[in-house]
Amino acid sequence: MSGSPLIEARGLTKRFGEFTAVDGIDFAVERGETFGFLGPNGAGKTSTMRMISAVSPVSGGTLRVLGLDPAVDGAAIKARMGVVPQQDTLDFELTVYENLLVYGRYFGLPKDVIKARAEELLDFVQLQERRESKVEPLSGGMKRRLTIARGLINEPELLLLDEPTTGLDPQARHVLWDRLYRLKQQGVTQVLTTHYMDEAEQLCDRLVVMDQAKIVAEGSPRELIERYTQREVVELRFPEGVELNGKLDDLGERVEVLANRVLISTDNGDATAHTVHERGIAAESVLVRRSTLEDVFLTLTGRTLVD
Amino acid sequence: MSAVAVTTSSLDRALSVTEWHARSYKRTWRATITTAFLNPVFFLLSVGVLLGKLIDDDQAALGGLSYVEFVAPGLLAATAMQTGANDAMWPVMAGIKWLRTYHAVLATPVRVGELVLGTMGWAAIRVLSAAVIFTVVAAVGGAIVSPWAILAPFAALLCGLAFNAPITAFSASLEGGDDGWFPALNRFVLIPMFLFAGAFFPVSQLPDWLEPVAWVTPLWHGIELCRGLTAGSIEALPAIVHVAYLSAIVVVGTLVAVHFHRRALLK
Repeated sequence: MSGSPLIEARGLTKRFGEFTAVDGIDFAVERGETFGFLGPNGAGKTSTMRMISAVSPVSGGTLRVLGLDPAVDGAAIKARMGVVPQQDTLDFELTVYENLLVYGRYFGLPKDVIKARAEELLDFVQLQERRESKVEPLSGGMKRRLTIARGLINEPELLLLDEPTTGLDPQARHVLWDRLYRLKQQGVTQVLTTHYMDEAEQLCDRLVVMDQAKIVAEGSPRELIERYTQREVVELRFPEGVELNGKLDDLGERVEVLANRVLISTDNGDATAHTVHERGIAAESVLVRRSTLEDVFLTLTGRTLVD
Repeated sequence: MSAVAVTTSSLDRALSVTEWHARSYKRTWRATITTAFLNPVFFLLSVGVLLGKLIDDDQAALGGLSYVEFVAPGLLAATAMQTGANDAMWPVMAGIKWLRTYHAVLATPVRVGELVLGTMGWAAIRVLSAAVIFTVVAAVGGAIVSPWAILAPFAALLCGLAFNAPITAFSASLEGGDDGWFPALNRFVLIPMFLFAGAFFPVSQLPDWLEPVAWVTPLWHGIELCRGLTAGSIEALPAIVHVAYLSAIVVVGTLVAVHFHRRALLK
């Protein structure tokens, strides 16, 4: 096993005509880690993932995946990689089991190997009972789990997940996170994109924050929170049209005024909340919570992740 | 987990795509059996046998053939056209746009050319099996004159692919995903060819100015080839021209299809 990164990008750029979707980003993903791209829709995450998965030509900069150039060795890269796309690409005409069989054949795997792995994977994603079911009636969470199983049929060194839990209900999300955590324990390197800060915090060892085609920060979730926010946030809700006139501005390290909400970054949330109360400011609700990646993003860009 | 060495050839990968289509087809074959098998046989019965009895006075105009002998190879080529064309329309758009299953294929070592060829390989199997069944039915019904007819399904295959390849290219070029083009293609291109390119009557019956138009259509070449074989009247030079013309369409159509698949799938 070499010490060089599994993925390395220098000045990586993607243009569609005049539009620059990814603007000269640098990053490296090490073997065994779970690496995230966090950012709002349109930040350039999916374009980056498509370049890594060797289905989208690089417009500028350099990219090495598994030590290879996607423009030259796309097929060799894909043979060692699993891809879970944002939109389902399962074959609805086929059963759960057949989707795995067909997919394994694209990698040139012998039928008996595919069959053995399909059994293991159906157990792993908890779809053994639905193996003969067609794909169409499966729930969103089941479809996503099947797509993950499909992406693992070639026993990839690297698994790419584009918005793995978008559109799933909370329970389905937790089942999925649990499976991805198990994969991480088995040593599978994972790269994922998300616009959910809780997903990034749950899954990622390290992540980059993307905004408007650029990387604006990089680190572990803990590091980013420590670097860009205070320990806690006091979240105040106000009815429409309340004039604060700067009455809160001196209360924390940073005060962000959003529609109906004010977020105060502070090292001692309870003390700050107390001061708010003392000043007679009538908020509809006052919530003290620990800082999250959402607050990191707000600090960095002045905007929220999910509009 | 054990490591399995994966070294596949281009042919293996194209065949894995063909295998996928075959598996998918197992679930939808009932829906396609009417257009692929029953309709042509009904046509043969109604037009060839029943209507043909009224026409059989003038066998000289049909090159010495009875009407059913004349029309059967025409229907054979037309069936191949329809099967090849249908597989190139909605299924291709579904793979690229609606179900996005082609994107899943290209996330694996399968290359875009292998995806296109593997998909055409499945269309070829469909065309050929429809052609074989139709030829057998025609033979049983006494519409086949010559033992050369054993090659007629392959002539029909070439004809079917001469529609499949360029229409695949056309479908892949529709970036907006507008399937409104397909009924128009049927109404204004395929059905007129079916009616006027020599399946039901010799194209010499057409007005003089229209006859050369028929010669340009791939269907006319396919019909001439099939009829030459089932009637035993085939001659080397025209046969070579028909095969070359249809093959050229297949080759160019395939290259253009690969180009448009790449544009649609590998942005």
